[in-house]
Amino acid sequence: MSHVILKALTKKFGDFTAVNAIDLEIPRGSFTTLLGPSGCGKTTTLRMIAGFIQPTSGEILISGKAQQNIPADQRPTSIVFQDYALFPHMTVFENVAYGPRAHKVNKADIPKRVAEALRLVGMEEYPKRYPKELSGGQQQRVALARSLVLKPEVLLMDEPLSNLDAKLRISIRNEIKELQSQLGITTIYVTHDQEEALAMSDEIAVMDQGVIKQLDDPQSIYYRPVDRFVADFIGEANLLDGRIVSISNHHAECQIETGDSFRVHLGEQTTAFRTGDAVTLILRPEAITLTQANVENNTLPGEIIRSVFLGSTVRYWVKLGSETLVVNQTKDPLTSIPKGKTGIQVHPQWIHVLPN
Amino acid sequence: MGNFLRQENHSRLRQWAHAVWKDPQKYLSIFSISGLLVLFVIYPMIRVLLEPTTVEWANLFSQSRWIQVSKNTLQMTLLSTTTATLFGFIYAYAIERAQIPGSKFFSVVAILPLLSPPFLGSIAVIMLLGRQGLITNTLLGLDVRIYGLYGLWLVQTMGFFPMAYLTIRGVLKGINPNLEHAARDLGGSRLHIFRTIVVPLAMPGIISAALLTAIYVIGDFANPMVLGGRFRVLATEAYMQVQGWYNLRMAAAISIYLFAPTAVLFVLQRYLLRKGSYVTVSGKGGGSLGYIPVSRAVKALLFFLCGVMASAIIAIYAMIIYGAFTRVWGIDFSLSFANFRFAITQGRNIWNSVSFAAYAGLITAFLGVFTAFTLQRRKFFGQGILDFAVLLPAAIPGTLLGISYILAFNQPPLILTGTLFIVIVSMVFRAMPMAYRTATSGLSQIDPSLEESAQDLGSGIFRTFRTIILPLLGPAFMSALIFAFLSSVNTLSAVVFLITPDTNLATITILNLIEHGEWGQAAALSMIVLGIVFAVLGIFKATLGRSLKLFDI
Repeated sequence: MSHVILKALTKKFGDFTAVNAIDLEIPRGSFTTLLGPSGCGKTTTLRMIAGFIQPTSGEILISGKAQQNIPADQRPTSIVFQDYALFPHMTVFENVAYGPRAHKVNKADIPKRVAEALRLVGMEEYPKRYPKELSGGQQQRVALARSLVLKPEVLLMDEPLSNLDAKLRISIRNEIKELQSQLGITTIYVTHDQEEALAMSDEIAVMDQGVIKQLDDPQSIYYRPVDRFVADFIGEANLLDGRIVSISNHHAECQIETGDSFRVHLGEQTTAFRTGDAVTLILRPEAITLTQANVENNTLPGEIIRSVFLGSTVRYWVKLGSETLVVNQTKDPLTSIPKGKTGIQVHPQWIHVLPN
Repeated sequence: MGNFLRQENHSRLRQWAHAVWKDPQKYLSIFSISGLLVLFVIYPMIRVLLEPTTVEWANLFSQSRWIQVSKNTLQMTLLSTTTATLFGFIYAYAIERAQIPGSKFFSVVAILPLLSPPFLGSIAVIMLLGRQGLITNTLLGLDVRIYGLYGLWLVQTMGFFPMAYLTIRGVLKGINPNLEHAARDLGGSRLHIFRTIVVPLAMPGIISAALLTAIYVIGDFANPMVLGGRFRVLATEAYMQVQGWYNLRMAAAISIYLFAPTAVLFVLQRYLLRKGSYVTVSGKGGGSLGYIPVSRAVKALLFFLCGVMASAIIAIYAMIIYGAFTRVWGIDFSLSFANFRFAITQGRNIWNSVSFAAYAGLITAFLGVFTAFTLQRRKFFGQGILDFAVLLPAAIPGTLLGISYILAFNQPPLILTGTLFIVIVSMVFRAMPMAYRTATSGLSQIDPSLEESAQDLGSGIFRTFRTIILPLLGPAFMSALIFAFLSSVNTLSAVVFLITPDTNLATITILNLIEHGEWGQAAALSMIVLGIVFAVLGIFKATLGRSLKLFDI
């Protein structure tokens, strides 16, 4: 059975619907991310699960138990705040001990439990420091330890890495992910950073304007977005308008604005499309190959209008009719960066088709 | 070796001369600010310190009369500071954290005492609870003696809790609400969170508010003057020495004695501020999680307490208005304009108050902004000392400042006593710390790179000040101007030593009327002064709107 279940969960602030009847089932021990732009309702959802905000309607179940009437301090959840919310007048030890003390844990056990939590996050050496004497990354770890010490059933994290610099963010996110799988703790994670979501999650719920657009594992989200919003929000995508001119053998010919057409693989989706349908073709920048050879193989003529050398890759802007496609190519150290006319080649399976 | 040292000295001097030569405007502004501070803060203080002889000091510490006065002052300070701080905390917590209904109304009411002449509460209390008081005598037929410690305790609590409230509210506002949410998430009950999170985090603010309030209470001159009766305190005794005996030496000794504790409190408060509250420790915001709502019972209790305090303040103003229109308070309660007919004859003193305060306001605001600009944005030797000297008058009881000015400026090299100049100067330096603070906090919002750009484009310090700082600090300048104006209109304790019949002021006229038991006339004159204050405030607020920040309105 799912560990956390949201049923038609809704939150309205006056006329504004922040969260609109979302349903979500989160398996025990999984790492689930609520991902979306600011204002999409992800943080509101998390705060409803934590108990800081009362839902307007709908249900929250944890281990089958309805949570709506349980106050935040009695829910089996613990939250790590974006700004960590470490108590500035308490040492690291006192911060982590705050929960056990509030829960009236046997006094003799507290030092052991605190030490254990600090060891989990690699902060066992600094129990006497105050938050302001710690770096951002260290504060982050203490905040995590403060939540973990209570052994919550569900760990909630609200953009916990957004106050860290880019390098630290990557190393800490790996640590959090590792710790989470090691402890097997059900985790709900909120972020607007799609790379973070892809790297950490078992499941991603992409949210926009109060609803979940797509719930899937990271690869499905990336390669098979359900609509333009998800395609655009996750990674980079070139979106081309097209029309299906023929369908055969799980493949379709899609004519684009220039009159040329791409052959695309429809696979299981075949039955969803008819000849003459208007569609959107989604081409990831790394799925496109620029080729100088005159090949027939699903290659359309285009023109390189700009290129930027980025080290391991080169980024091109390629004109295709009135559209400009972004293309990333691995840089071959032995050849120079091409210019001018080029062939735009895409494998039929690497083009994702959306009905319009 | 000696030769080497001399050479070293010589080159230091040359370096310094070179620095002055390269940026003469910078040194000119530093010298002029230092000059003003030395002349009008440091020199008078030194002068007053040298005035008493061992005889006065011996008297002060041995005669039972002075020991009693000291005890009284201490007792009054402890009582009033405690209650004013406690009420200030309750009021701040109720408005900022509990968000009781009518918060906006309560916050505006609490500001009123800060805009009013200092003895208003005392007049109202006498009119309500005195020998001919509306409640005590007319309604209940009692003969109550409100004069003395208990009356003082009451009016000082009412008069000074707003100061504590503002300080504590600022600190409460700075505490990240997520801390409380985090504590609750970790299983803390509301009471537990209040005890372990809210109170400890607010403590630096509470202590700071208490120290500030204590400085005000110790220096309070108006209320003991009106309501003290036989309960004598140091601030008024110093005045009596001058007024009754023309014993300036004794007056100087008493007021220095008064300054000792306020100076200590001032330094403590500064240290506390610098050591810092916990306001800015956490990283950037976690969004709009509001405060955790307090329980209904607590909210109701807080609402009741704030209601009592606000009603008391409103009662003061109601009494002043009622008294102003009453023929003879306590005897003939029929309505009349007689008090106003008298008040109009005092037009000249009212005009003096308003025009002097207007000059003082302008000078203070300009000087405050310029001083902040010079001291905050440049590194130079003696910067810390100057900063301290600008803020020092906040710790100097008005009585001491007044006496020090008499002593310093009634003899060469500079004879200023009896002029309106000295009255305005005393107003300026009384209001200077607040103006300087306002300008400093405004300045901290302006990135130094703006000035660097101006400098880079060839602008000197004066041009930068005129073209960059002054326009950007406009709101802070206006706030400082209005604050200085208000403080100068209402000032009493320092100017009471400095005025002449030609430079008499409204507040002092009111004080004299009270001493002669002319409550109605005092009330009418107070009402006129209040009317002017609120009119000025209203005009500025209407023209400047939101950009004018004065306390909270």
